[in-house]
Amino acid sequence: MSESTQVSDRTTTREQAPVRPGATKWRWAAAAALLAAAVYAPFQLVPFHVFQLTMVLIYAVALLGLNLLVGHAGQISLGHGAFFAVGAYTAAILLDRWDAPYPLTLPVAALVAFVLGLAFGVPAMRLRGLYLALVTLAIAIFLVPLLKRFEEVTGGSMGLSLAKPAPPAWTGLAEDQWLYFLALAVTVAAFLLAASLLRSRVGRALHAIRDNEAAAEVMGVRPAYYKTLAFAWSAMFAGIAGCVYTWVIGFVSPDSFVVNLSITLLAGLVVGGLGSLSGPVLGALFVMFVPSISQDINEAAPGVIFGLLIIAVMYVAPTGLAGLAGRATNSIKKTLRKG
Amino acid sequence: MSELAVHDLHAGYGGAQVLHGVSLTVAEGEICAILGPNGAGKTTLLRALSGMVKGRGSVKLDGAELLGRPPDALARLGVAHVPEGRGTFMPLTVEENLRLGAYVRRSGVEDDLERIYTYFPALKPRLKQAAGSLSGGEQQMLALGRALMLRPRLLLLDEPSLGLAPLITRELFHIVRTINEQERTTVVVVEQNAHLALGVAQQAHVLETGRIVLSGTAADIRADEQVAQSYLGYRV
Repeated sequence: MSESTQVSDRTTTREQAPVRPGATKWRWAAAAALLAAAVYAPFQLVPFHVFQLTMVLIYAVALLGLNLLVGHAGQISLGHGAFFAVGAYTAAILLDRWDAPYPLTLPVAALVAFVLGLAFGVPAMRLRGLYLALVTLAIAIFLVPLLKRFEEVTGGSMGLSLAKPAPPAWTGLAEDQWLYFLALAVTVAAFLLAASLLRSRVGRALHAIRDNEAAAEVMGVRPAYYKTLAFAWSAMFAGIAGCVYTWVIGFVSPDSFVVNLSITLLAGLVVGGLGSLSGPVLGALFVMFVPSISQDINEAAPGVIFGLLIIAVMYVAPTGLAGLAGRATNSIKKTLRKG
Repeated sequence: MSELAVHDLHAGYGGAQVLHGVSLTVAEGEICAILGPNGAGKTTLLRALSGMVKGRGSVKLDGAELLGRPPDALARLGVAHVPEGRGTFMPLTVEENLRLGAYVRRSGVEDDLERIYTYFPALKPRLKQAAGSLSGGEQQMLALGRALMLRPRLLLLDEPSLGLAPLITRELFHIVRTINEQERTTVVVVEQNAHLALGVAQQAHVLETGRIVLSGTAADIRADEQVAQSYLGYRV
């Protein structure tokens, strides 16, 4: 029964994808409007809110990576936060020990996370479902003690404090605005990269494995290869997000990357919507704002409110907020056509 | 285009042996029907031929050993398997499904798509539609089209008639015949509907509890009334 429900759910999501050529134009228009709003926002908001939006962008990149693995390749990871931490620490150590220039830390963090993702992906991707979940959870669990152990490099429990990238004088931007635009540039690039990846032959192969592994295999698709690659890519995006996190926060410590981060990321992605490009953005908004909103509602038990909200969203929108948004747009379109 | 030679093939799942020494040959460009009751091992035979289950013995396509290679390697060698239940990628579009069929190649894909539309004109207006929204018959045509995208040397069809209306099944078998005649593709088809399968095949084998109990030309087997009654469960 669950199988058939799943299939029909996916079919409905897919049907929302535009068939008419005009719909693609609307999509581009919507993306352009969103980008314009994103560029305009930091000039209208107080620094704290600009910082919050910057964090949303960072989470969106991390969730974009997780979405490749979970939403598109159909695997699971409870250790995504670990690769986020790898990116954050790679950047921090480069800045702290070698005084590396900021732009350099991004490709290095991406590469380190990718290689580690590949190294863990090769054995992990031979496992499925619960077993894979456990192994990835183990990655998240052993990371924190490991970071504390190599104190000389990582700063141990105290962490590392770093100077944030300073805005160049010609921009005339404040620090928070500059950091926001750095994060925005990285996010846009990451989304374009992921979108082109998914539109290619590689994307089709990933989807085929997710939907029917045996049938994909008899067509010549090698599941182990693509699953491992998807794991490495997802780690790479997490690493990129972690690197920008280090730029923005200017401080890394093991306690920022506990297991809870991995679980929050997975919850955020599922709430946002698996397998769509808007899902990671909506999920990032959820991860960023819902904990503080629940703190406002009840200071004593923010976790309870957060958990209840996740349950509520999943009950109302089983395909995530992205699916809900798609359904809403469709019904508005229908109403408009009738009227 | 290619000759298939199976010799003393044993295969099964874990500890359970399903095939106990199956031997058969299919000449180049021929259609071979595998008949038999439920649980005889027909599907397992096809799965062993496409590498989905491991087997012992020998399976040669134009002299090259197929056993021991993974399914994706066999796809590269030109073995196309339309699995039981069609293996449609439901959320993907019809076109994406077809393009996945040509996954192992990069060149000539556009020409092949056109070729598929001539065999299955019904698919063309539905290219951008989710494959899951197609009817059962259309999905079976899509599965067949997708297998042809591989430019197979050996085409394996598992119960193409499953769950389809008789009229559609007949149309489908007619297309299989056309494809076989035009492309000289060697075909092994597993089918419960013996009457239809024998209508298109040159050779047929009856499988029972993992062994071949009867082999012959399709015409001979169809003519043998006793065989029809005891193995195929229908009267001629």
